[in-house]
Amino acid sequence: MISLHGVRKTYASPAGPIEAVAGVSVDIAEGEFVSILGPSGCGKSTLLMMLAGLESITAGSISIGGQPMTGPRRDAGLVFQDATLLPWLSARDNVLFPIKMMRLPREKYVARAEELLHSVGLGAFMDKRPRELSGGMRQRVALCRSLVHTPSIMLMDEPFSALDAITRDEMALVLLDLWARHRKTGIFITHSIREAVLLSDRVLVMTKRPAVVVADVPIPFPRPRDESVQDSPEFTAIVARLRGMIEHSIKDAA
Amino acid sequence: MDGSSPPPAPIALNIEKRELVNHPAVQILLPVAFAILVLALWEFLVDFYAVPKVILPSPMDIYARIVSAWPFLLQHAVPTGTEAAIGFVLATVLGISLAVLLSYSKWAHAALYPNVIFFQLIPKIALAPLFIVWLGIGSSSRLAFSMFIAFFPVVIATLTGLNATPPDMLRLCKALTARSWQVFLSVRFPYALPHIFSGLKIAVTFAIIGVIVGEFITAQAGLGYLILFASSQAETALILASIGMLCVVGLVLYGVVAGLEKVILGKFGQ
Repeated sequence: MISLHGVRKTYASPAGPIEAVAGVSVDIAEGEFVSILGPSGCGKSTLLMMLAGLESITAGSISIGGQPMTGPRRDAGLVFQDATLLPWLSARDNVLFPIKMMRLPREKYVARAEELLHSVGLGAFMDKRPRELSGGMRQRVALCRSLVHTPSIMLMDEPFSALDAITRDEMALVLLDLWARHRKTGIFITHSIREAVLLSDRVLVMTKRPAVVVADVPIPFPRPRDESVQDSPEFTAIVARLRGMIEHSIKDAA
Repeated sequence: MDGSSPPPAPIALNIEKRELVNHPAVQILLPVAFAILVLALWEFLVDFYAVPKVILPSPMDIYARIVSAWPFLLQHAVPTGTEAAIGFVLATVLGISLAVLLSYSKWAHAALYPNVIFFQLIPKIALAPLFIVWLGIGSSSRLAFSMFIAFFPVVIATLTGLNATPPDMLRLCKALTARSWQVFLSVRFPYALPHIFSGLKIAVTFAIIGVIVGEFITAQAGLGYLILFASSQAETALILASIGMLCVVGLVLYGVVAGLEKVILGKFGQ
């Protein structure tokens, strides 16, 4: 379980301290997929970086599996907005990059890396370099890379927002499928309401100023899910409700 | 959803007519034809106005001098080329090492970087006589001076390159608990290579300038010496023949660096 307790992040700036995250307390169960939804600049990426151990916590605490967070954890997989692949490595070697950086034996993970690439439809592209792949394919490689070292948590920072709308919808389904197979605890930052509802067990709505979680909405659709979930009236209702909350919070902040 | 096939190529509805100027043959032939035209004009004007050979020999005169002095030119090209190559290699090794130090130690960066920039601003050729005072008139002073002026572009380019890694890539490495030597070898250095090579291409021409300046002041051999010697004899054709030879030396050294760049960036390019 991941527990955030009164987590704050304050940056010093010439104009005085800026509060990026203003006190977030949330519990996330093991194997749960939680989206953090909010307008840009509401501190959701900062929160994710704190969960990855890459940002210090100004006040409050984060604990994972009962242990307090002190720095980067090897059991987390990270996905960024851009695929951030190494341009000179093949798709396979990019997926194996964490193994190299963690100084683990490569031979033990090659089969897993190839299996992951197969599962996202890149079986025929394992020897291709990033420039030979489309944007969506590159992001699939990045998803595989985040899973290769069998982490227990997947941290995703708007992984599809640099993609075009059609590829983006496709990628959401790739992730849905990948997550159904691997069942990690997933934390997914997005500003797409539909994406959040489709993928998540819970959606946390974050607002700007103060950067706090204002709503915690459970998503009731059973798993395994597929794209047909999006056609149900219930889906539309939840999306509309979340949209209302976000618009409301933006109006309040303005 | 089919991820296994690449997206189809967009259909070009409006294919623009390929301009003749972009044709590869034109790209090669045009500059060559232009150079020949200039040489022909030079030949013609020198003949037409009967310019004395001491002032400006014609291209045919220079060619004749190159042919007659060929063994001589070759003999002097060897020390110049060798010293420039060694100066360049030393500048590369030292320049990259200093840049790595500056990028890893905030203290070294704070102490040295402003001074590196300050040194960069000195017209370095003005310092050449000092090298003679310190190191004598042998090849060591020319090597040191050549290295000295070729060194700065390497440092600056490498430093820029080492900062060219996307920040998210560095975050990923940190999240994976990578050691800093791993990040350097597997990520930052390869990302720096295109920048390093653009610095090296500048450095290689600087290294030749350094050697020539050194030879102007001290040498008993080398193309710089030959130019000075020919000028004292009012042998203008030999001066220009030596300069032509110098261009060949420069082209060879530059070609080696550019070739190396092609090979290495083919492996580590973006």
